[in-house]
Amino acid sequence: MPTTSSKLTEWVARTASGDRAAFSKLYDATSAKLFGVILRILKDRARSEDLLQDVYLKIWQRADTFDRDIASPITWMATIARNAAIDVVRKHARDLQASDADVTEVPDTVPRADLVIEEKETWQKLEYCLGALEDEHREAVKLAYLNGHSRDEISAQLRIPVGTVKTWLHRSLKKLKECLVG
Amino acid sequence: MSSSDEIDMLAAEYVVGTLTSSEREAVEARRTTDVELGAAIAAWEARLSPWLAEYQSVEPPAHVKSSLIERVERIQRAEWAQTAEPRRLRRSVNFWRATAISGYAIAAGLAALVVFRAPPTTTPDSHYVAVFQNNDEQPAFVMSIDLKSRQIIVRPVTAKPAAGKTYQLWIASDQLGGKPRSLGLLDEPTKPTRKTLPYDADLLQSATFGISLEPEGGSPTGTPTGRAVHGRLIPSQL
Repeated sequence: MPTTSSKLTEWVARTASGDRAAFSKLYDATSAKLFGVILRILKDRARSEDLLQDVYLKIWQRADTFDRDIASPITWMATIARNAAIDVVRKHARDLQASDADVTEVPDTVPRADLVIEEKETWQKLEYCLGALEDEHREAVKLAYLNGHSRDEISAQLRIPVGTVKTWLHRSLKKLKECLVG
Repeated sequence: MSSSDEIDMLAAEYVVGTLTSSEREAVEARRTTDVELGAAIAAWEARLSPWLAEYQSVEPPAHVKSSLIERVERIQRAEWAQTAEPRRLRRSVNFWRATAISGYAIAAGLAALVVFRAPPTTTPDSHYVAVFQNNDEQPAFVMSIDLKSRQIIVRPVTAKPAAGKTYQLWIASDQLGGKPRSLGLLDEPTKPTRKTLPYDADLLQSATFGISLEPEGGSPTGTPTGRAVHGRLIPSQL
């Protein structure tokens, strides 16, 4: 059974007042998800374990900034984990590339049932709008997000010069936004 | 000046994750004072967040949790050693948020309300310092207060003037009905602002203070319209 969002919200609130027992429950309910996020981006177990700790320390320290009007607790936490992992790969791009073999790539095509982050409809809308992009492009945008790809990696993937990745990316993101907002 | 379009694309690329390390650092520093950028980032995070569901869960090894909990315990002990009432301080932020925050405020593009709890009543000294900060970053403002004379000085540290915006100082107290009340604008955020507060020491001691970034001329609603982030209390005499 996935933990309900209201339970998580309560544990985040109690964490904000310094409640370690609530924090421990929050960790048990969400750490596999956050570890999955970090591991997919860092592709290195030892580094991912270290970063997972750092991410939960951030959650402990920032629990009082969580605003449920903006995001669900799991979205808030996964976003912290994703940002932290991307910061690490961008900073240590070179030494991480060597250990790519550590994790096998499993690109998902459907949301996992174990911990559904948002309503299925918002996922379907996003996928529908992504469909407005050309085949190759839609794959590249989504994998950039999920795997934390850099412009260099996108350039290699799409076989376009790095200098034009930005232009291409902006065009794709604008199309995506028009569809989502419109 | 960057155009709205440029800001939106910067936010989008930040959220997708394609910026370089130094570009990301620049965005993270700028989002604390640039209301438009902060709102654009939040909007892109919300737009793309359904994809977070696609990350497969992977159980982390047990030792990660045990050392995490040890680190948290160490942090908590250090906090308790530093201030007599860390729990009250943290709770106060939630109290502040509960009165001040709503979703539409974010949509209106107003940001960065920072919060601080006044010192516990048991301290005999009348001089206190409050640090207004965003997350773990450098303080935005430091405020010193003398409860006897009820004078405050608010000094900017990293806070920068924002075009078309102004910083506004607030106080919230149960004795004032719980809702934040304006203590006026910080007209020149690059210079220290001095004020004498119209409240007695007893009220000030138990009050919560906040600084929010508001439209020019101050909050149109009479209450802060920005997002809350936590504040830290530093005793002025160690």
